[in-house]
Amino acid sequence: MPLPVALSLVDVTVRYAERVALESVSLDVRRGEIVGLLGPNGSGKSTTLAVAAGILEPACGVVTVEGRTREADPGAFAIRVGLVPQEPAVYDELTAAQNLTFFGELYGLCGSDLRRRVSQTLARVKLSDRAQHRVSTFSGGMKQRLNLAAALLHDPPVLLLDEPTASLDPASRDALFADLTRFRDDGHAILLTTHHIDEAESGCDRIAVLEKGKLVASGAPSELLRAKSTERAVLYGHLRSRPPKYLERAIRRRLGAGVELEITGRRLRLAADTSERLGEALATLLAEGIELEACRTPAGTLERVLRAEECGAGEHP
Amino acid sequence: MTNKVSLTLTLACKDWRLFWVDRRAAVLCFVVPVLLASAFGTIFHRPANAIAAKLAVLVVVEDDGPFTRQVANELLTSPRFDAKQVSRAEAEAAVAERKAVAVVLPAGFERLKSWQPGVTTEQPELLLLHHPNAAPERQMAQGVVTETVMKRVTREAFTDVLKGDETVLAPPFKIEAVGVSTRNGTQFNSYSHSFCGMTLQYLLFWGMESGLLFLRERQRSVWTRVRAAAVPLPCIIGGKVLATAFIALLQVMVTFGVGYVAFGVRIDGSVLGFALLAMTACGLAAATGLLVAAIGGTEARARNVSILVILGVSMLGGLWVPAFLLPTWAREFSLALPTTWALRGFETVTWQGGGFRSALPSIAAVTGFTLALLALAALRLKLAERSLRQGKT
Repeated sequence: MPLPVALSLVDVTVRYAERVALESVSLDVRRGEIVGLLGPNGSGKSTTLAVAAGILEPACGVVTVEGRTREADPGAFAIRVGLVPQEPAVYDELTAAQNLTFFGELYGLCGSDLRRRVSQTLARVKLSDRAQHRVSTFSGGMKQRLNLAAALLHDPPVLLLDEPTASLDPASRDALFADLTRFRDDGHAILLTTHHIDEAESGCDRIAVLEKGKLVASGAPSELLRAKSTERAVLYGHLRSRPPKYLERAIRRRLGAGVELEITGRRLRLAADTSERLGEALATLLAEGIELEACRTPAGTLERVLRAEECGAGEHP
Repeated sequence: MTNKVSLTLTLACKDWRLFWVDRRAAVLCFVVPVLLASAFGTIFHRPANAIAAKLAVLVVVEDDGPFTRQVANELLTSPRFDAKQVSRAEAEAAVAERKAVAVVLPAGFERLKSWQPGVTTEQPELLLLHHPNAAPERQMAQGVVTETVMKRVTREAFTDVLKGDETVLAPPFKIEAVGVSTRNGTQFNSYSHSFCGMTLQYLLFWGMESGLLFLRERQRSVWTRVRAAAVPLPCIIGGKVLATAFIALLQVMVTFGVGYVAFGVRIDGSVLGFALLAMTACGLAAATGLLVAAIGGTEARARNVSILVILGVSMLGGLWVPAFLLPTWAREFSLALPTTWALRGFETVTWQGGGFRSALPSIAAVTGFTLALLALAALRLKLAERSLRQGKT
């Protein structure tokens, strides 16, 4: 028997002045599932999250959390949602414990209950030993964990995460998805945005694909990715360091028109028409001195290609 | 209701914690107004029994007659002048550098000796040389020179009547200068004025700083989380006002405390009036900050405009130098400024020794300004939040 719907968007349209950012988007997120919103930059992922969090009003349509709308009862709506913005939304000047205490009080928590929750939540995100340290001394991964903790503190049934892995290294990213899986198993409904298919494939139970503000596909990752992988051979990687722009431009020229190269921070996406062309493209990259910390292909279709290049890449998983 | 009060206090406590994070900056918030007030007070301080400063005067004598020499001698020995005789060229060079005012007794000045009341003759022209930017010195020199010359002329004209007794020429009256304020016997303490003025000016600067912090906070992602928590706008405004006003009140207490201990700045009038004025002035600082955050746009723009406005209202409100030194139009315009009323109130209850009733108009005026600024800021913030929620910005 499916778990109840926690977050529901029905025919939601959002306009920024004259521009339509979301058009008739309908989406349900059930308790105990992780839904990934996938799409390129500007497709409406963050807008969908803002509407779901109640900080943006839809021009049309209805957003409900456990059957409640924000308009009817802002407090009851807000307490059922935990938002994790892309940038760590905490006060760098305060300690981890002070931040959580402040955000807990905003959600009406107080006294011993608040202290207990702060302590538990810090333990949950493995920051207990840094409770009294200022956030400004934290690493990017620790800030992101505190960012998540601030959203979990009031134990909301719905968790919304905007590009949660954008500034994380592979180890922190894996740790975050392990946390999210635990929260999912605890019965949270999780909606996260990403534009990395590999993340969505491995970490989400369901994927919703947005394109130019419209929901163009939705389903289990295996179904969606199978359909896409028949069209192109794709490789996802994590670079040891981001190459300089001039080198990136030179590599693009050498790869030619048939190969797609996307580098976002230290993330890499390489796509080609065939496995052979993808292998050639990867060889070109390695020949130019680009070092990969890790790489993988969706649905294992390109294992053969990777193995052939493994010696050159050095540290493949 | 309890929930809203608790939310407001939570937000205020957060601002209080953020204020103390940078301890040195926080301490400077209390030290700077004290230093400014002490410096201004020292510059304008004149003890009540101090001897008036003498005016530097150069006397140029171009007529060799005995009457002219007599006038020159009297000018050189005047107790109000620090005078010496020089040549015309030396006098002009010194005046050009604003070192002194020069009195030139020209050739033909001796003719004045034969002046008789009612007899019209050609008048010799006494020359007063002054720097273009030295009008007060010119006025003082003109007064003393006129008095000296007229006394000498009168002696010459009424030699027969005087018969050697020059005491007859003494003024038949005395002038007694009495300082009048609400409380008799009160003496002006320049430190009182500077501590009142500089405290008020710094309160406005603190308000601006608090507003800029709020502006920065609203542009950070942390504000997204506060908005997602559905905190009502009145709580956000209340929290900000409470934190800013409380820190401002501490500044008032520290500044006036140092003024009392070090410079004898006292509340000679109503203590209740002073307390209410301090609270309304702190509210004014908080409202100013909120308005800066509400209409500031970018931080750089808000900072520059705020500094301009604060310095403007401080100067016109008489926070730097007493308002009577300002031109008439400025004094009239300054009645439309909260700083004028706040300063009046503080001066009334400090060195002027005014009671609660005399401070009431100032308290009412500052409260009115505070409420008006708060209403404007709240309206602007409400509209901004609505636009943000509707995706219009």
